[in-house]
Amino acid sequence: MKILVVEDDSTTGPYVAKGLREEGHTVDLIANGREGLLQATTCNYDILILDRMLPDLDGLTLIKTLRGAGNRTPAIMLTALSGVEDRIDGLEAGADDYLVKPFAFGELSARVAALARRPGYQTQETCLQAGDLEMDLVHHRVQRGGQEIPLLPREFTLLEHLLRRKGRVQTRTMLLEAVWDITFDPQTNVVETHISRLRAKVDKPFESDLIETVRGAGYRIAG
Amino acid sequence: MVRGIALQADPASRLKRLLNSSPMRQSLWLSLLFLLVSAISLSVSYYVARHSQEQALQDSLIQDMIGYRATPSATALVRLVQAEMSQTDARRRLISYRHLGGQVVAGNAAITQQQEGFGLVVLGENPTPVHGSFLLLSERVHGGLLTIALSAEPLHELRETFVGVFLFSLLPTVGIALLGGMFLARRSARSLRALDAVLSRLTSGDLGARVQAERMAQADLGRIGSSINRMAEAQEKSTAALKQVSADIAHDLKSPIQRVAVQLEHLRQIEALPPQAQQIADQAVAETSSIVDTFQSLLQIAQLEGGSPRGRFAPVDLRALVSTFVEIYEPVAEEEGRRLNLDLPGDPVTVPGDKALLGQLLANLIENALRHTPPGSDISVSLTAGASPILTVRDFGPGIAKAEQTNVLRRLYRLEQSRTTPGSGLGLSLVQAIAELHEAPLDLSNADPGLRVTLEFGVPGVRVAKPSALSI
Repeated sequence: MKILVVEDDSTTGPYVAKGLREEGHTVDLIANGREGLLQATTCNYDILILDRMLPDLDGLTLIKTLRGAGNRTPAIMLTALSGVEDRIDGLEAGADDYLVKPFAFGELSARVAALARRPGYQTQETCLQAGDLEMDLVHHRVQRGGQEIPLLPREFTLLEHLLRRKGRVQTRTMLLEAVWDITFDPQTNVVETHISRLRAKVDKPFESDLIETVRGAGYRIAG
Repeated sequence: MVRGIALQADPASRLKRLLNSSPMRQSLWLSLLFLLVSAISLSVSYYVARHSQEQALQDSLIQDMIGYRATPSATALVRLVQAEMSQTDARRRLISYRHLGGQVVAGNAAITQQQEGFGLVVLGENPTPVHGSFLLLSERVHGGLLTIALSAEPLHELRETFVGVFLFSLLPTVGIALLGGMFLARRSARSLRALDAVLSRLTSGDLGARVQAERMAQADLGRIGSSINRMAEAQEKSTAALKQVSADIAHDLKSPIQRVAVQLEHLRQIEALPPQAQQIADQAVAETSSIVDTFQSLLQIAQLEGGSPRGRFAPVDLRALVSTFVEIYEPVAEEEGRRLNLDLPGDPVTVPGDKALLGQLLANLIENALRHTPPGSDISVSLTAGASPILTVRDFGPGIAKAEQTNVLRRLYRLEQSRTTPGSGLGLSLVQAIAELHEAPLDLSNADPGLRVTLEFGVPGVRVAKPSALSI
């Protein structure tokens, strides 16, 4: 994919650009808001990654101007501000996703992948599958190797979320938001606990593990 | 709907409000004062006029008496009286003459007196054919008592005239004053309502609210309106400055932290790193994220206290929210051998609020209980329905000494016993700030054993709606 990164920080910018290049993307890095806007309007990008505070033109104004001009390229806003108000401001300005600094590269990479696949749900699906695991969305039943696995409603949602994004990393914050509708970061490792419960039912009694931990990023079901 | 109830008061309370308004009260007092002064001056002039009228009557009685005295003898007097009687109108003038201690010799018996001097009689009973009140004078003449009476009707007429003047001049004046007062009261009530609405919008965090002062009919209220506008402007500016400072600090501190995080990430990716160094790098990553958390909470508290708008408040079902969060933390509690007890009402409990912030409040309270009580001890979360829903999070740990209960709400304050447990010392301060934003008083008390934290929400439905436009 072709990605534009507009970030003035001399460490974060190159770090993000390098990481994305290593994943096989084509990346342009620009450190100035006004130039970033020019670049975004003149070239066609698949995804924009914008810092909120930029010299000459801040990220909010940049994205507002782009959206005002009819440019609908998916955009992730990077920001030091993580209040609910700030998130809402960012999303209202036209950003598609919002990532609070400091972030791990895994988080950004997972969100880039998530944005690239939008709109996401193929609603006609009645059955999801990974390896020998089958999820029946109509009857809310999960089987693995022909063996029925009883799941609590929220465990079902969590597994469904991972299955629908097979092969893509889902970070803690992405899971919190998607499964429990929580936009802040709890101090307790609730996600880990819920994943380990799910693993106890889905993976432990079987020979191979479906749910992988991606170090420094999150979780994934191999696809 | 809520707003409609507030503005459409019943007629009785509207009248009460109207009467209590200052212009109405001023005009009532003025009317009363005017009435009083006019009544006093009219009565004084009435008494002066009446006195001179009486004096005139008495003078004419004395003149008459002198005429009768001029008669040479009693017989002549009797003849004169009889002659006069046949000629004068009995309604205007009456005369009687009688012997001392004896019967009436001539004239009208109705007015006979026993003593000399002036007097006032009212005639009206049978068999007298004469009515009305009379002013009379009795004097001894030729060995008998002569009484002359003149009708006092002019005195009555005078009173009627004065009463007429009073009624026809004063009542319309008072009526006009009252109507004018009512009109002014209603007009200023509109302005006051507008001022009130703007003030409550300002206090609820809508700093953009302004009074349309130039459209206010009363100059004094208009001036107050302009002052409110200036105050709101200053407040808006300082809030904006605070937000800018917060944003600057956040940016200037978080960017270096981000760089540290990036460098640590690089460090961890080095394949040849000895396990011990790997572990130190992991710890450093954990430390950076706790710095960010502390810092984030401080910023958030500052923003909440700096008049975070309630404009984004929407109805939140507390019952569903509590049940979600208990469900989230249940596995964590169970891993530590705890039970997370839940006590919920049967129906949804809706309060106006910010769902994300209320969730954070719940998470902080539950995490606080998890962190500061020994593994194996239970935690109870309960919610009551009703007009003022009460949310309670209670643990069975060591509790907090009464003297420390207000301290723990202070920022960055940590109890001696909690120095070794993780946490920023900001959890309860943030809870406090969120509770204040929702006008839900926060209370900490000892449950013996354990700490009980309660939040009492206001009456559901109040303050949800906010007037969208102001008419003055």
